[in-house]
Amino acid sequence: MKLFKGIIKWLGDTGKVFRREFNISIRDAGLLLFFLALPVAYPVVYTIIYNPEVVRKLPVAVVDESHSAASRDLARKMSACPSIQVYAYPANMADAKALMASTEVFGVLRIPSDYARKIERGEQATLPFYADMSLLLRYRAFVSALTDLQMELSSELTATKVMDSPLATLAAGREMGLPVKSESHFLGDTEQGFASFVIPGIVILILQQSMILGITLLGGTSRERRRRNGGIDPEAIPGASVSATVWGKALCYVVFYLPGTIYITHWIPEMFNLPHYGSPVDYLLFIFPMLLGTAFLGLFLNVFMKERESAFILIVFTSVIFLFLSGLTWPRYAMNDFWTWCGNLVPAIWGVEGFIRINSNAATLGETQTPYIALWILSLVYMLGAYWTTAYLNVKSQKLKVKG
Amino acid sequence: MNLGLTACMKREVRRWGTRKMYFFGMVFVPVLTAIFFLSLLSPGLPLKVPTAVVDLDHSEMSRGITRSLNATELLDISQKEESYDDALAAVRRGDVFGFFVIPDNFEKDVLAGRTPTLEYYSNMTYFVPGTLSFKGFKTIAVTTAGGVMKTTLVSLGADASQVGALMQPVVIQNHGIGNPWMSYSIYLSPSFAINTFLLMVMLMTVFSITIEIKEGTSPQWLATAKNRIVVAVTGKLLPQTVVYVSVGLFIMWLLFGYSHFPVNGSLGWLIVAMVLTVIAGQAFGLFICSVVPNPRLAFSLTALFSILSFSFTGFSFPVQSMYGAIAIFSYLAPIRYFFLIYINEGLNGVPLYYSRYWFAALLVFPLVACTLLRRLKKACLDPVYVP
Repeated sequence: MKLFKGIIKWLGDTGKVFRREFNISIRDAGLLLFFLALPVAYPVVYTIIYNPEVVRKLPVAVVDESHSAASRDLARKMSACPSIQVYAYPANMADAKALMASTEVFGVLRIPSDYARKIERGEQATLPFYADMSLLLRYRAFVSALTDLQMELSSELTATKVMDSPLATLAAGREMGLPVKSESHFLGDTEQGFASFVIPGIVILILQQSMILGITLLGGTSRERRRRNGGIDPEAIPGASVSATVWGKALCYVVFYLPGTIYITHWIPEMFNLPHYGSPVDYLLFIFPMLLGTAFLGLFLNVFMKERESAFILIVFTSVIFLFLSGLTWPRYAMNDFWTWCGNLVPAIWGVEGFIRINSNAATLGETQTPYIALWILSLVYMLGAYWTTAYLNVKSQKLKVKG
Repeated sequence: MNLGLTACMKREVRRWGTRKMYFFGMVFVPVLTAIFFLSLLSPGLPLKVPTAVVDLDHSEMSRGITRSLNATELLDISQKEESYDDALAAVRRGDVFGFFVIPDNFEKDVLAGRTPTLEYYSNMTYFVPGTLSFKGFKTIAVTTAGGVMKTTLVSLGADASQVGALMQPVVIQNHGIGNPWMSYSIYLSPSFAINTFLLMVMLMTVFSITIEIKEGTSPQWLATAKNRIVVAVTGKLLPQTVVYVSVGLFIMWLLFGYSHFPVNGSLGWLIVAMVLTVIAGQAFGLFICSVVPNPRLAFSLTALFSILSFSFTGFSFPVQSMYGAIAIFSYLAPIRYFFLIYINEGLNGVPLYYSRYWFAALLVFPLVACTLLRRLKKACLDPVYVP
């Protein structure tokens, strides 16, 4: 009976904390910016930034020292690559360098003077290509276009050579193409677009970071209220236990974020035609423990928030760190153990990993069990952390009260 | 004549002692993030992508292909799967980033001249491992084809030495200027480390100014400067500039000294650029504080803008390929100019002439910030705190 009463009281207190926190939140315009505006606007802004998806028509210069039919044919073939545009034919390398320096071109192909002769004689001709390295995306576009170009040229030249040589009689009746064909396929982001790859990860980071910023903003504000009121936060529910306070607040944040989560995980990929293959049941079930874990993490971090402005200085920069720990830019398997473990402690790192697999690779919840279980474990750990912070701050305020 | 500048500067330095946050934001975070990027990206290239092979042929030739796949530095054949479906499931579980399929009867078909097809799959949801596994697979597929052809031609009586030139008459050699190792660290660390530093410069500038308004100490601050806002702002920000420049120099040493990143141009101009970028960042924060002289909006605007600046300044996706309306924003961020100067002075080593506009642009930021000082003064004299 006593236990039953305890449960009823706990539920009642949790509900009261929930309602109080909700009311504080919707009255705080600064907070709503992070809880509402940011998750709504940022995914759109990021998608618009990256929406051109691929780089096309990169300007390059061709220095033709060969002045032959073969070299002109090569330049024409190069122009035909979708990612390359021959922008200029400078007379020499010095002129080409000047074009590079003024960023009018991002690459220079030099066709040496002996190019035609070597082709004619059946010797191997080497063409140096100088690429600007300021962006690896550009470099990659060059490399893949040039590899294709090289293969196209080679197979064309080889075919004519073989037909002209004595080998033709030997090879009679055989097809002289390559004896083995190959086919490449791209999974997930089939268009290899930049937005398609980066947005599904970034939106999950936005969920976590905006929520933590908001919670710590509230935490800092509450600390200021306590200081002004001799150690007691006038907005706190009197008599509510630590666990009722933590759960009431955490549930409030999670509920606040439910519409935003559906918007981010479902509507953003739909609206912008990004890869979106997974089942909604899978990714919504998956993301739930991340929201819960993030809410607890935010409440735990409140121990560091001495004032409202603390959140900006202590939290904002972590977005950049978490972006890299998530493996979006630098894969997680290539990290050293220390950074892997730092990443393991962040809910969004698992969230990004699992959500990308469900969303872009059509994995099921069962196939993402490692990140899913990790998220529940983190939720539990940070729940205890949130208990500790809440209890610690209560004790600290009591001391303040005694002193005051 | 006593302008109160020294008094203002002394007052500011004393204030740093009141909160741990000053040290944390001005020194600790910038240095920590620089070390983070250098440490995380220190391998340069993420080699040995975990991948799988599906060998349906089980022949000597297919085993040879598996061995060559494993031998490339790009790939690590961590799994052998029995079927396409198994391999796809491994991709979904995140165990591998791609797989290579050798069809059944591969060897027989090759020998009989029936041109079988090698297929390979790369998971592009993670760009870098997807791309690298694609590159590794493609190399092996092409060399396999080449190897088979070479054997065929030699067996038909061709001269082995000619066959190489015959099969690959043209070779395009790629030379990556300034970063021939294709190191991700050289490419990412300077821009991301300096931009995180700049993010903190902006936030701490906003913090140090708006906290006066919040705590109502701003009239006293102005009084110390004999009510001259220019003196007040200089007295506040100049000591911070000294700290930031020292932190910036240390980060530059980490990048170009300790990590030996290339400086193909002039390190001197790169340092000048860093100093100007720091001042531009402070000016940016000051400008925001003048436009919206309350902590909430000033902090929010600065944070929202700075975080986005990592994307729209084109560290990874080129500004030239963005939509015009977005590309414009990149020119509002001081880091854009530092980034362009770094490419010119660090990677490409081109004459200073080509960076002239970027240096000039950095000088514009403080000038713009000066235009609104009067507004800031008004707000400081009558501080209103909006939480």
